[in-house]
Amino acid sequence: MMRGAVDEAKLLLIGIPVAIWTLLPIYHMFLFSISSKEEAFSGKAWPDHPTLRNFGVVFREQHYFLNHFWQQFANSLLIAVAVGVLTLAVAATAAFAISRLRTRGGRVVLNCALFTYFIPAAFLAVPMYKAMGAYSLLNSKWSLILAMVTIASPYAIWVLKQASDRLPYELDEAARIDGASPLQLFRLVYLPLMAPSLVAVGTYALLLAWNEYLYAFLLLSRDQDITLPVALGHFLSADDSPWELLMTAGLVYALPPAAIYYAFKRYMVAGLTTGAVKS
Amino acid sequence: MSSVSFHHVEKSFGATKVIHGISFDIADGEFMVLVGPSGCGKSTLLRMLAGLEDITSGTIAIDGRVVNDVDSKDRDIAMVFQSYALYPHMSVRENMGFRLRLRRADRREIDTRVARAAQILKLEPYLDRFPRELSGGQRQRVAMGRAIVRDPKVFLFDEPLSNLDAKLRVQMRSEIKALHQRLKTTTVYVTHDQIEAMTMADRIVVMHDGRVEQIGRPLDLYDRPNNLFVAQFIGSPAMNVVSGTVRRHNGSAWLEADGVRWPMGEVPGAEGQPVVFGVRPEHLDLARTDGDHVAGDVIVVEPTGAETELLVQVGASQVTLVTSGRPRVRPGERIALAVEPGMGHVFDRESGQRLVD
Repeated sequence: MMRGAVDEAKLLLIGIPVAIWTLLPIYHMFLFSISSKEEAFSGKAWPDHPTLRNFGVVFREQHYFLNHFWQQFANSLLIAVAVGVLTLAVAATAAFAISRLRTRGGRVVLNCALFTYFIPAAFLAVPMYKAMGAYSLLNSKWSLILAMVTIASPYAIWVLKQASDRLPYELDEAARIDGASPLQLFRLVYLPLMAPSLVAVGTYALLLAWNEYLYAFLLLSRDQDITLPVALGHFLSADDSPWELLMTAGLVYALPPAAIYYAFKRYMVAGLTTGAVKS
Repeated sequence: MSSVSFHHVEKSFGATKVIHGISFDIADGEFMVLVGPSGCGKSTLLRMLAGLEDITSGTIAIDGRVVNDVDSKDRDIAMVFQSYALYPHMSVRENMGFRLRLRRADRREIDTRVARAAQILKLEPYLDRFPRELSGGQRQRVAMGRAIVRDPKVFLFDEPLSNLDAKLRVQMRSEIKALHQRLKTTTVYVTHDQIEAMTMADRIVVMHDGRVEQIGRPLDLYDRPNNLFVAQFIGSPAMNVVSGTVRRHNGSAWLEADGVRWPMGEVPGAEGQPVVFGVRPEHLDLARTDGDHVAGDVIVVEPTGAETELLVQVGASQVTLVTSGRPRVRPGERIALAVEPGMGHVFDRESGQRLVD
């Protein structure tokens, strides 16, 4: 019992600083968003006159930097969802072919997928820009969507392949004897059983695209086309940046990922295949 | 209902040959059990029949039609897997109706056929449950239900009872047997358990190292094993075997093994021939001291109620004796053993083949 208490104390000793370290910037951001411009830099832990005015300004796009806020928010959302869905489509079919249909050359594809991670994404930014230019996709949402799918897919394939390997192979054989074609096997047996991994990988790709700055900055340039992180970056181009508005918009920008995480958390737990085969 | 025939079937994985030219026929409605130790190729043979493994050479025919190049789903077979292989995201009802759903059968037909199968297997209360909510025996029954809903030409069972506990195994054994008697569908059943084979089969194929050792009705295999492998594989406790040399003198024959003289009665084998003599535990009797007998020392006495099993040291070998009733013997005691006349088996020591009398 004494031992348990000591262990707990040690955990708290690590946990409390980590929690403060993580939460402090978020609190800071929150503090800015409820402070007036004058109070923002006062250095107080809580403003004397907390206000929600900043949110009103952001939501009504009442500032030069916020002229296309909702449009940019929608761009971000559309691109993130498209990247999530497309990455899932690419990765799930690839993992199914490699792991379940045991397609020839599957190992090569997997090794290539792993190899792409030796090359930092930033290295590929310029070649990607040139490629998108060659296909006249610059300033189109498709350029960013395709670029992000390219970056997210190898890892997604790798993860889904590992998860697929854990499904009992007898299920495929049973389905084959039951008369399922590969596509029916994919749709009726594979996808439902892979749901937890699909949600996890889809969320990963979605958040990767939502958070992307570099590629969004390079590939999209018109104010109506850019995504929120790039738009937030524009705030800093002014001499007296409206920090309280930047932080408010940032806070709004940070909410969807949190919402997505909580919505899908329960799907990410394993255990869906319980009862398929006796282990 | 249909017949199945294997004709010179071979299977290689790369350079390794695992099935060496197997041929046999299964009659319409027959319950055929493939039995053998693990690695003997019985499951591979079944999977080839199911279309889950390619056939390297030879042919497999169902109902006279060669199915080598026919897809699993068009062979009209149903298979029960050792691991059950139930679809975990589907209810019992959906699991059982999956095949029909893929065939685009209409809803009402699926319902009728699932209901009928559920009634046969007493699964009605569980139709809306998921596999994870069922016990091992119930899952096994669902796996069988999935097979019978389809009304296939041939049922394939791949060690279906291995994952069940001993008591449930015995119960499911009789259920499967009863099911076969009711449906009379041709059945191929793979097991490594010779008791399952003996109790369930119309005929048994004993396999070893990718070859067929013997095919026959259970009691024929038991009474007249073709070779030493079958002799020792079929029967529990296993047949006692003693290596020695045949001796003949003045019309009587005996086996000489490590200085022990085993009376063999009327059995084949030439004077001086090296052989293996086999006798089943129940064909060894506690003898009165007059007449032909061998002497041995009791090592262990195992009473099971109806029968008593004795482990006895005779010369350099240990033999098992099963006798009905409860003999008054104790460990360490010296007893006399007699072989029931005509119940000995003699095998050539070199080839392991039965010597024909």
